Amino acid sequence: MSEFIERPRTACALAGALTVIGNLPDVIPIIHTSLGCGGNLANSVAFGSGYLGSGYCNGSAAPSTGVTETEIVFGGTDRLAEQIKNTLELIDGKLYIVATGCMTEMIGDDTAGAVSEFRAEGQPVLAVSTPSFKGDSYHGYDIVLDGIFNSYLPKSVEKNPKLVNIFGLVPGYDPFFRGDLEEIKRLLTALGLEVNTFFTPGQTFENLASAPSASLNIVFSRVWGGELAEKFAERHGTPYWIADLPIGPAATDAFLAEAATRFNLDAEAVIEKENNEFYGYFERTADAFCDQDLKFYAVTVTNSTYAIPVSRFITQELGWVLCDSFVTDNLTDAQKSALQSETPLQFVTGVQEIARAIKQNHPQNRGQRYFDDITPLYIIGSTLEKRTAAARGAKHLP
Amino acid sequence: MSYYKQSVPPVRDSRLKIGDSYAGNACDLVNCGRDGCLLQKGRGFWQANACQMALTLMMATTVENSVIVMHAPGGCGALMHSLSAQAAKGKGVRGKTPAAIPWLSTNLTEADVIGGGERKLRETIEYADREFRPEIIFVVVTCAPSIIGDDAEEVARQARSRVSADVVSLHCPGFRSRVVASAYDTFYHGIMRGLDLQPIPRADFLPLVQGPQAEAAEKKYLFQKSRTVNVWNATSIGAQDEQEVERLLTALGLKVRFFAEYSSREELRQVSEAALNVSMCNVHDDYMLKYLAEKFAVPYVIAGMPIGFRHTREWLLQIARHFGMEKEAAALAGHEEKLAREAIAPFLERVKGKTVLLCGGVVRVGAEATTLAELGFNVLGIRAYHYDEGAEPVFSDVAENLADTPVAVSNQLFEMTHQIKSLKPDLVISHNGTQGYIAKLGVPAIQLFSTDGAFFAYNGIYQILRRIVFEFKNTSYRDRLSRHIRLPYKQSYFEGDAFKYIINNST
Repeated sequence: MSEFIERPRTACALAGALTVIGNLPDVIPIIHTSLGCGGNLANSVAFGSGYLGSGYCNGSAAPSTGVTETEIVFGGTDRLAEQIKNTLELIDGKLYIVATGCMTEMIGDDTAGAVSEFRAEGQPVLAVSTPSFKGDSYHGYDIVLDGIFNSYLPKSVEKNPKLVNIFGLVPGYDPFFRGDLEEIKRLLTALGLEVNTFFTPGQTFENLASAPSASLNIVFSRVWGGELAEKFAERHGTPYWIADLPIGPAATDAFLAEAATRFNLDAEAVIEKENNEFYGYFERTADAFCDQDLKFYAVTVTNSTYAIPVSRFITQELGWVLCDSFVTDNLTDAQKSALQSETPLQFVTGVQEIARAIKQNHPQNRGQRYFDDITPLYIIGSTLEKRTAAARGAKHLP
Repeated sequence: MSYYKQSVPPVRDSRLKIGDSYAGNACDLVNCGRDGCLLQKGRGFWQANACQMALTLMMATTVENSVIVMHAPGGCGALMHSLSAQAAKGKGVRGKTPAAIPWLSTNLTEADVIGGGERKLRETIEYADREFRPEIIFVVVTCAPSIIGDDAEEVARQARSRVSADVVSLHCPGFRSRVVASAYDTFYHGIMRGLDLQPIPRADFLPLVQGPQAEAAEKKYLFQKSRTVNVWNATSIGAQDEQEVERLLTALGLKVRFFAEYSSREELRQVSEAALNVSMCNVHDDYMLKYLAEKFAVPYVIAGMPIGFRHTREWLLQIARHFGMEKEAAALAGHEEKLAREAIAPFLERVKGKTVLLCGGVVRVGAEATTLAELGFNVLGIRAYHYDEGAEPVFSDVAENLADTPVAVSNQLFEMTHQIKSLKPDLVISHNGTQGYIAKLGVPAIQLFSTDGAFFAYNGIYQILRRIVFEFKNTSYRDRLSRHIRLPYKQSYFEGDAFKYIINNST
């Protein structure tokens, strides 16, 4: 049984879907809900997730059926058909995705039926079912990409032996997703591979269209995108590899070596060059890092994608001492067990609950003369952890 | 039955003649609003927008010592992350603790949508009370529970006896109205039904013991009350505007208090203790002010928005009339106008004849348009986000002064984009949330309002003009940005009518 959540860190499936669609090149959303959903959900990301902004045709520009009480009572498929027709006439795109919200799903609108009529005419329209109650934004990511790759795009006939698709890094719910994708692409390109990131500037609709011909899908999440990759493998015959996000040189060395092995390439030269460059920078931090005693106990509060890679980075590369690692995603038991590693994880979402857990796990000095507590402490979390850190006298990296 | 007795408030659409799709001029709009043809209009193409829930949350987040419980699936509260930062800032500039408001979501899932979410709502309210010890718990009821028929009112009613906070329910399902302004009614309906709006003996005051001293004290109190006005702020009205309004009304010898945003539960209990309620916008608070007149016999003044010399004078005079101080108010306005006119003279030279398009809240765009026209601008068009009969006085004034100016009722970006491209204004003055899109078109623009700025009365006139001149000083950012942007609209749309998707639903 699901419970209430204090300050949820993601939004709903529709929100995830809209963030995905709004960050894909030439893909246009058609939101089948009341007018508010599109604006509210887009703004929460545009102004909340590292100021991601709205882009080409998202946010208040996103086409929406704007259903009202009339449609709730009498059905909204006529309004949807009219909206699709006019969107095709007015908005310039290469793929139009109808995403539903809770209200139109609850009244049982036959969205797929309405869309199939346009498909029969050869129009590039796809319907996905993304009601808010189906799951959070991470589910929305899986649902939309599943729709595009495993339903809309034709089965791949020929493979490009050098092409790789990147999955698992969900846009908008981690402000660094584009930086991560760019760096992964840079590294794999250095090995001689071609990379579809889909979500970074510079990618075009061609990257989506060519995806089925990829020789490997790399999924940078043990939890999200795996099911999608499984179905992708069934449909297009592309194998997948679930990898942890490489953070820091040790993890990156291992990632490059493994990637190279999968393509019968040699990573040694790239690894050597990358390490030389990295340590060229990193060496210069040694003076400040050590003279200023920048060694800490650490608590991490992250999504499931970052939890293990960040913990490893601060433990292995920075030599800090990890005390607690909280994962804020809402996960099933199976998903939780996929996250087993040397780092014990605690699955908590609420801001207050996390603050309370830290307090319970690590008592503070209450005026004792001698007391071994976890100071100096660094909390690596979201902006929501600012007050928790301040109350504990900890440093805080949002 | 009075609306006030209903547990769920009416949406504006069922209370007033209202519309959100129109293109023509002010005179026709007023007539179309009167005879109801506006009600028939809609669009064959829509772009996403906000809903009444968003604005309801904006208002609720400003109330001190409160917690918000979203009775909703997980997504509806997502904008709280940015809203609570905004509200905390607003509290800070008003001298209140700038704490972000905690919020929770009942996180309705598929099972709840089938089996009902009342249990979760009850548990969430009780947890909120235990964990945060707030004075007020706002229960925000969204689309999903409204469709499945959760009796949130009954849950809230039962909770009132189990929690120490006051429980205020705010019913704001987005599908019930396309008009965001419906949120004002929703918020006020919740406040009037969920909170005490008069002082509680022994909590707020000590009852007097009979005697000559008591008589004198009562006289003093009643005199003070007879000079106290409540001024009703909301969302778009920032602290600087409140300060300007307070300065002017204080100069007339009045005591000024602002409601309902940034008020605490204790402050809200003083609402009834005033001689007059004063609105700052025709479409914000008529619902609340009429209630207070009915319930506590406090009269009210709704006299437009104090923007520009003429509207500010009119606004002041109408308030003053209630206190028999029209002469004083006219003298005050005269004095203020003289000072402000001297101050803006250098700006006026620089903006003379500039063409401008205005987009945003219906009362503000109307008042601002006539103001700018009087100051020498050439108003090319007015775009109001919605229109209802409350705005009629403002648009009758527009009809009189800007008879031929195109007026649209539209919050749609594609129509705005078309108008900017076809009318080619020197300046766009527009609602927050559109500024990025306007910058991508390469056109200079300023905010129609910003809670960080000044827009009202004399300081407002000076600051608006100052910002316009500031904007014209360097437009490089948008010039360059626009050269690298591809618009999502097909070229064929710009070759036809901007409002081709407005339709009559009756036909």
